[in-house]
Amino acid sequence: MVNGYAPKCLQEALEIRAAHDVVPYAGGTDLMVENRPNVTYLFLNKIPELKQVVVDDNYIRIGSGVTFTEAIANENVPQLMKEAISRIAACAIRNAGTFGGNLGNGSAKADSVLIEFVSGAKLRLLSVKGERIVDVEKFYLGRKKLDLGSDEIIAEVLLPKTGLENYYYEKVGGRNALAISRVSFAGVFEEKDGKIVNIAAAFGAVADTVLRYRDIEAMLIGKTIEEAKAMKAEYIQAYSDRMVLTRGRVSAEYRKTVCMNLLGEFLSKFGI
Amino acid sequence: MEKISQSVVKKDHLPKITGRSCYVGDYVGDILVGKMLRSKYARAKVLSVKVPELPEGYYYVDRNDVPGDNNVNIVMDDTPVYAREIVEYIGEPIAMVCGPDEAVVKEILSKIEVEYEELEPLLDLRLATEAHFDYEYGKGDLEKAFAEADKVYVEEFETGYQDQAYIECQGMMAEPEADGRMFVHGSMQCAYYVHGAVARVLGCGPSGVHVLQDVTGGGFGGKEAFPSILGSQVAVAAKKAGKAVRCIFDRDEDLEFSSKRHPSLNTYKIAVKDGKITAMDIDVKFNGGAYTTLSAVVLQRGIIAASGVYNVPNLHVRGRALKTNSTPSGAYRGFGAPQTFFSVEMFMNHIAQDLGIDSIDFKLANVVKQGDGTSTSGIYHFPVPLVDMLNEVDAKTDLFKKHKEYSKPQTGRYRKGIGMSWYFHGAGFTGSGERDHIKAVAKLHKYPDGSVEVLACNGEIGQGLRTTFPKIVAHELNIPLEKVYYDHPDTARVPDSGPTVASRSLMVVGELLRRAAIKLRDVWVDGEDQIVTENFKEPDFMIPFYIDKFQGDAYPTYAWAVNAIEVEVDTYTGVTKIVNATGNFDVGTPIDWNIVMGQMEGGFLQGIGYTSTEKIYYDNKGRMRNTTFSDYLIPTSKDVVDLNCMLHVEKYPNGPYGAKGAGELPLVGAPGAFVEAVEMALGAGHKINHMPFNAEEVIKELSKEV
Repeated sequence: MVNGYAPKCLQEALEIRAAHDVVPYAGGTDLMVENRPNVTYLFLNKIPELKQVVVDDNYIRIGSGVTFTEAIANENVPQLMKEAISRIAACAIRNAGTFGGNLGNGSAKADSVLIEFVSGAKLRLLSVKGERIVDVEKFYLGRKKLDLGSDEIIAEVLLPKTGLENYYYEKVGGRNALAISRVSFAGVFEEKDGKIVNIAAAFGAVADTVLRYRDIEAMLIGKTIEEAKAMKAEYIQAYSDRMVLTRGRVSAEYRKTVCMNLLGEFLSKFGI
Repeated sequence: MEKISQSVVKKDHLPKITGRSCYVGDYVGDILVGKMLRSKYARAKVLSVKVPELPEGYYYVDRNDVPGDNNVNIVMDDTPVYAREIVEYIGEPIAMVCGPDEAVVKEILSKIEVEYEELEPLLDLRLATEAHFDYEYGKGDLEKAFAEADKVYVEEFETGYQDQAYIECQGMMAEPEADGRMFVHGSMQCAYYVHGAVARVLGCGPSGVHVLQDVTGGGFGGKEAFPSILGSQVAVAAKKAGKAVRCIFDRDEDLEFSSKRHPSLNTYKIAVKDGKITAMDIDVKFNGGAYTTLSAVVLQRGIIAASGVYNVPNLHVRGRALKTNSTPSGAYRGFGAPQTFFSVEMFMNHIAQDLGIDSIDFKLANVVKQGDGTSTSGIYHFPVPLVDMLNEVDAKTDLFKKHKEYSKPQTGRYRKGIGMSWYFHGAGFTGSGERDHIKAVAKLHKYPDGSVEVLACNGEIGQGLRTTFPKIVAHELNIPLEKVYYDHPDTARVPDSGPTVASRSLMVVGELLRRAAIKLRDVWVDGEDQIVTENFKEPDFMIPFYIDKFQGDAYPTYAWAVNAIEVEVDTYTGVTKIVNATGNFDVGTPIDWNIVMGQMEGGFLQGIGYTSTEKIYYDNKGRMRNTTFSDYLIPTSKDVVDLNCMLHVEKYPNGPYGAKGAGELPLVGAPGAFVEAVEMALGAGHKINHMPFNAEEVIKELSKEV
């Protein structure tokens, strides 16, 4: 028998979360496999407040209980996000898996989290004490380590409304379906009046957390394409020097080569 | 299409699709759960085992509890039921704990303290010297051929492990019966193998045991010998407990500790004169693991196929199955041949490159034809349809044109390649095994109501025997298929028609049943209970095979195949996309079109997995690291979207309606075609001689200066 609470609304969920030692459970696609003994779950998959995608003045707000299948069908979800989540596992998993679960799992291989990193997304965390808005980059502290209080739940992902239109995305898995990322890459690019206003690159599945280096990105901000071209080698070298990758099922060398190849391809795609 | 080939609904379709089939895990009642205490070290002396006080109804079972002989009879008898003083691989079963509650059994296991004296293990095949088996054979004058050659080539090839990845893990159960017999049943291919092994272990004689094959969720060779071991272990436990004991492996346990395909290291030396191969000197090494299990027979098939489908007048082959401190390797669809066919096919490509000719032309110039001698100085008695089959593949894929086009230098991120391999699968048991060892017997039992039961012991493992055996009998008796049935075999009531191995069941036992049906037709009396029996007879045309010399017809006939695989390699990520995979297979007359095509597609995909994604990772202590299906990657349908199989029919007169061995053929040749395609895409100068060849290998190869 699975022990757990199945609250009907958000408030009830937050109260249970505060009062008991529970593991938040959304789609269960990882937790079911883990099948941990003696665990009490907090089932969040029936809470309407967590299952919405809403657009406000600044953000596209994706509820943590929204499944990948639902997001793929939603007109407000950016194409870059759709591309990444459509490569997750297989249909059955995408029908159950959620944004909250992908985050809560604390893995650098999480395909939706990569997009949240590259887009500078924020997360809305809730507890009985109120809400906290944190940058996803600060939320992810390392492998399985999250800045999430024992009374908090992940409520929403806040993606910026604009700026994700020009992107480059690649997922390298061990096979074409049901594949955990071995290297994943997402880059977004924005140019205004002949100058680069945003160039962001994030690397998934190659270290304990998703990697993004804002200081290296800054090298090209405000530059023209021609100026950026001249700095391309130096720029790539900066990444190469910074990225200390770990070995997983594939070697650190393989990961590094692929990361650099994809970074170069990203720059080329936008004329750099 | 002939009538016999027309597809019918499989007899086990409904029970399987509705969930009514009873697998070994589905039995309920007073059954103890058995779990293994396994060695933590690849080689160690077990000094002591401290078992905590056991609760009522729980048992600790080890080698001291074996009533008969603590050795499992497979080909040899060196595999212990429970470990001897020295454990020889990580995971070797030292003992079993069994009892009513699985959680309690696990808790007991966690509290058992084993004191080991660690010994130096041998984990590297390259360093192995102790041979489980060492064979040698040849023909012609090797020395002269090499002396007179225009050119001599030498290259080493390496192949990896592969797990059978059946859906149902290994699982066996033993129940002491009221009459004193031990009833053993579970997931298996060869009921009589288990029967023989358990009788010896219990020391009770053949009549003290009977064995039933439960509904089995896939085997692929992995349930040929292994159930004899697990069956013996549960039987000893059931004997001690006096109760039913069942042991079903978890997936990680199955991946790590049940037998896998032998890794190999094959060195080839080839002499070429006037564009023809004049000699091959081949050294084959298989990693047999800690015990011999099936290595003898796997190695035999591997070395008989070592010279490929080529006419080699002067030949020397040495083959060794070497001992290492790893999980004993075993049977897997293809049975030693995929390793050597990969080696010879890749070497033919490399030699052709050096000679400056298209490898397909080079292969065509050397391919065998009807009447030519086999590697073991037998004869290809029947037509060799390879050239026709190659042309059929070309018509479907534009192979010849693409093969030349993609061989030219390519630039850019994505590069294309197409590879071709052709090969045979010797149909039936190797050598004179059918005649001397198996001596298959099959029966038909006609009941007064006119229904006919097939009595044989070949196990349905998804290959369709519960359907195709009755199809043959119904066809010959000219009665409706519903009137003929074939249940899962129980050795208490069926004769020994031989093991479910070597792509033999349909060809050999199917033919016995066809002949039995003719007999029954002749003596048929309505309303009577009648039984007819048929015994195996070796076909007259066979040149007797001597296993000590490897001389004679190793197989009565061959199934043939041509594979072409087209790829697009992403040179930035190393990911290889399979654009198209086409397999042309000659298994003789298909006894059921859908069943055969299912076999061909599934086997072909397994072969592609073997050579691309299915890599097993070990740490330096010999421990497997990827023990889940999210980490040991078998291909999905999305990995080979365009998978085409076709059948070329070259009938075998001694098989039922012209059928010959089908089961293993489709797996065997994929590696040669896939790796050639990848090599071509990477460009001239890249020579690949190992597999599996995954994305990481592509990037590694690209970083080499060529």
